[in-house]
Amino acid sequence: MPWISNIAVLVLVALGFLGWRTIRRNRLWSEALRALWRRRRISLVIIAVYVVIALLDSIAWVGGTVSGDVSDAVAAFKPRSIIDRIIAPEAFKELSYSAPFAEAGFYDDAPLNHPGAHVLGTDILGQDVLYRALKGVRVALLIGGLTSLIVIPIALAFGVAAGYFGGRIDDVVFFVMSTLASVPSLLLLIALIMVLGIGTVQVCVALGVTGWVGFCRLSRGETLKLREADYVQAARALGVSHAGIILRHILPNLAHLIVITFALQFTGLVLAETILSYLGIGLDGSWGQMIDQARDELSRDPIVWWNLAAASCALFTLVLCVNLCADAMRDILDPRTRREEQ
Amino acid sequence: MKLSPIGFASFCCLAVALLVPACTNNPYPNEGGETRVFYSSFAEAPRTLDPAVAYTTSAHVITANVFDTLLEYHYLKRPYELIPALAENVPEPREMADGRVSLLFRLRDGVSFQRDRAFELNGEGIDTRIVTAQDFAFQIARLADPAVNSPVFENFASITGLRAFRTLLSERRSGDTDFAALRADQQYMALGGVPGVLVNGDNELEIILDQPNPQILYWFAMPFTTPVPWEAVAYYDGNEGRDRFADHPVGTGPYALTVYDKQFRFVLERNALWYGAQSEHRDAPGAAFPALSDISDEDIASGRIEPAYAGRALPFLERIEFRRERESIPRFNKLLQGYYDDGGVIKESFDAVVENDDLSPEMAELGMRLDKVVEPGVYYIGFNMDDDVVGRAAGDRSRKLRQAMSLVVDVGQYLEIFLNGRGVPAHSPLPPGLFGYDPDYRNPYRSVDVDRARSLLAEAGYPGGIDLETNAPLKLTFDTGDTSAQGRLRYQFFVSAWRTLGIDVEIAATNYNKFQEKVRSGAYQIFFWGWIADYPDPENFLFLLESASARSATEGPNTANFMDARYDELFAAMENRANDTRRIEIIRELTGILETERPWIELFHPEAYTLRHSWLLNAKPMGLSYPVFKYRDIDPDLRAERRLAWNKPLMWPLYAFILFIVAATLPAIRTLYRERT
Repeated sequence: MPWISNIAVLVLVALGFLGWRTIRRNRLWSEALRALWRRRRISLVIIAVYVVIALLDSIAWVGGTVSGDVSDAVAAFKPRSIIDRIIAPEAFKELSYSAPFAEAGFYDDAPLNHPGAHVLGTDILGQDVLYRALKGVRVALLIGGLTSLIVIPIALAFGVAAGYFGGRIDDVVFFVMSTLASVPSLLLLIALIMVLGIGTVQVCVALGVTGWVGFCRLSRGETLKLREADYVQAARALGVSHAGIILRHILPNLAHLIVITFALQFTGLVLAETILSYLGIGLDGSWGQMIDQARDELSRDPIVWWNLAAASCALFTLVLCVNLCADAMRDILDPRTRREEQ
Repeated sequence: MKLSPIGFASFCCLAVALLVPACTNNPYPNEGGETRVFYSSFAEAPRTLDPAVAYTTSAHVITANVFDTLLEYHYLKRPYELIPALAENVPEPREMADGRVSLLFRLRDGVSFQRDRAFELNGEGIDTRIVTAQDFAFQIARLADPAVNSPVFENFASITGLRAFRTLLSERRSGDTDFAALRADQQYMALGGVPGVLVNGDNELEIILDQPNPQILYWFAMPFTTPVPWEAVAYYDGNEGRDRFADHPVGTGPYALTVYDKQFRFVLERNALWYGAQSEHRDAPGAAFPALSDISDEDIASGRIEPAYAGRALPFLERIEFRRERESIPRFNKLLQGYYDDGGVIKESFDAVVENDDLSPEMAELGMRLDKVVEPGVYYIGFNMDDDVVGRAAGDRSRKLRQAMSLVVDVGQYLEIFLNGRGVPAHSPLPPGLFGYDPDYRNPYRSVDVDRARSLLAEAGYPGGIDLETNAPLKLTFDTGDTSAQGRLRYQFFVSAWRTLGIDVEIAATNYNKFQEKVRSGAYQIFFWGWIADYPDPENFLFLLESASARSATEGPNTANFMDARYDELFAAMENRANDTRRIEIIRELTGILETERPWIELFHPEAYTLRHSWLLNAKPMGLSYPVFKYRDIDPDLRAERRLAWNKPLMWPLYAFILFIVAATLPAIRTLYRERT
């Protein structure tokens, strides 16, 4: 269903533009963003590249000519993304393994269709590894982004409600949280996926169910603190409604937590998917699957390293950059460290 | 004695330096390899060693050497040939007046069971017993016993009254509590035994078959029909600290299982009471090494068989040790160090071991030998003929579709990529070495021809793969029970081959249980499966496509649900026919039907590569036959010498390390010494 993906891209771009304008108008956030750009220029650029790749891979349509010597007659009838159209994997393939930039195949120096053209080599079925690594970007961002979209609202709603209202609600929320936290999360994940089946949405939901507890606890604690703040007490004395207090005073004060948690959660989820793939229940086309397929390639002699290296490097770079940015954001948004800086 | 610190330190160093050379990497520290012991390994202990039930290779390696059978396969001759073992002759089927067939086995005199405590049931101090025809009848009755749950009951069902015996047994057991309390052998006796198994005195066993079934003789060469003492079954019931019979085999074979530790090791030791060790049976075909005239030139030239052994009395090995090895790489390393005598070639080091389809120079230098054997099996892609699109309902359309799909699967490339080329491309279900296999036969639909496939597809009404109803590529599903990433790559290989035609095949990978469920309910289109022969007869392969064994109708192994009246008719004519030229003609006609109908895309016959050391003698790859240890021998001196040479400990890093430690502690010791004085 390419249209869902295409609409999602449109929505994302529109939201991004709106968000950009909102931040521009807000002094606190625009300053924070400027500070982040000063400190983590390289990481931000790399993340932007990943996002652009994912967006390009998400815009897909059927039609157009399939380029080159076609060995895949079905491709023309499948929606192909911009990345697919640029690299044209239907024609850009070999018989089996070939090393990066190799002029000849891995087995018996068989002649290649595209000697020296595969920057990261080809895998056992002769697919270009760079292409597979690029395809993994979208899956990783989708897992991280979609799951965060599930996790953060749930965690925030429960956490704020528990912290703000206390009493019975707090008891119930805390009970659910403790129960979930006491089940080993990997086992719960596997069980959930076995029940829900394998698919992007299913895996995201499963990851969401197991992942919201940490942030919920954090937001509950923060709300407990904020509830007793002078301005909240004052607002309450003046008769402002609960909803008003939560929306005007509590949520904006949790905003920096949301941003930081989003970033940390994101990397955790991408890594979790890798582990799921390794257990054979991950998503098609993910880096985890590439790593899993490369499992045998490391113990063989001579070794085939490029598959594993490509997937691991792509994964590592994304996780490192997002973590570096999250770290910087925390420093920038935390009033204490900010004061020290000035 | 008062020792100064420096003196103490140097004493320690000396002690370490003296002790270390005594350490080795020998996994059998109490043995130097000088005795005639064969070392082998196992990954998982077999679930059962009960000869009526055990049906895996890992179990047969033990049971086939512990239990003798009436017949055996000739160790060297290929195609396989039956020789008498416990029987004095290979029986000629004799047609009786009423159309039934009788097989008369004359048993050898004075064969006795191995020594075992179970025989104390016959009286204090008794530890063995002479085998009688009754012991064979007992085991055949056990095959029919629903409580034993033998997987091969159906294969013996042509014995007169076996099926009725089974029903009667379970009826009496559920209806009569006194009967159910009896010992198994007493129950069988009370029912009068299996009607078609006649015991004529101690030394004659007659089997009556309802209809001719020449293949049943092969089953008498498998441990399923070994003599089993009722004492062992009764004694080893798993109660009061006694083993279960499934873990404690008691047989007549050349070896006896003396240690059975499922977590660590098994030991087979020479059975002193084996019939071959008695002077009167020394020349029996199963008790002596084949004569010089039976040893082929090829076996001698390849160094597999030592002609000097011709005619010598078996067995040669004193003992066979199996050690547990869970991982393939450590097992392979121990093989290279000389601690195992033979082993398979593992995928990880394939390129280091095999070069240009032969041993690499490094391995040849170690004196290794490489044996390649095509296994009697076939792997194939099957179509569900009950399906509306790929099956018989679509008539000629689906036939052309299957032919087209068969024409683009390049199995040579598949073997190269996934199996290091270990396999022989299949043109029909029949593997090499079987009666009716024709090495020159080329299936016209099993060599890659994309253009022909395209035109066939167009004739089938899918021009360019386009389904004219939907105006999109024809969509099919490939159902698998393997969700691993490696498995996925394999299926993707076929899928991308079909994509070149414009057919869009989706892989539906579920776990194995769900896949089996799909197979049961008939909700599958294309599947990947394999079959390994039970016995060397074409019937054992061609029955996989007979409508009587169709999965949807009878839960049989014909998962393709192929049903073809002409095929069934020819199959019935071929099934019980002796190996004559007419049978070859029928087989040709049968494979001819498969050739055009294409219920299967035959892929390959697997090939096993075995490495063996120079000191392992007379090791011919076994294929179907497992009682092989009695033929093998070891040159223990050569082995001990090679082991010593290959496992020289590398000492200098240790000495360097000790020196470093000493040098590093010297200043401290000096300070201590100075402070004291």
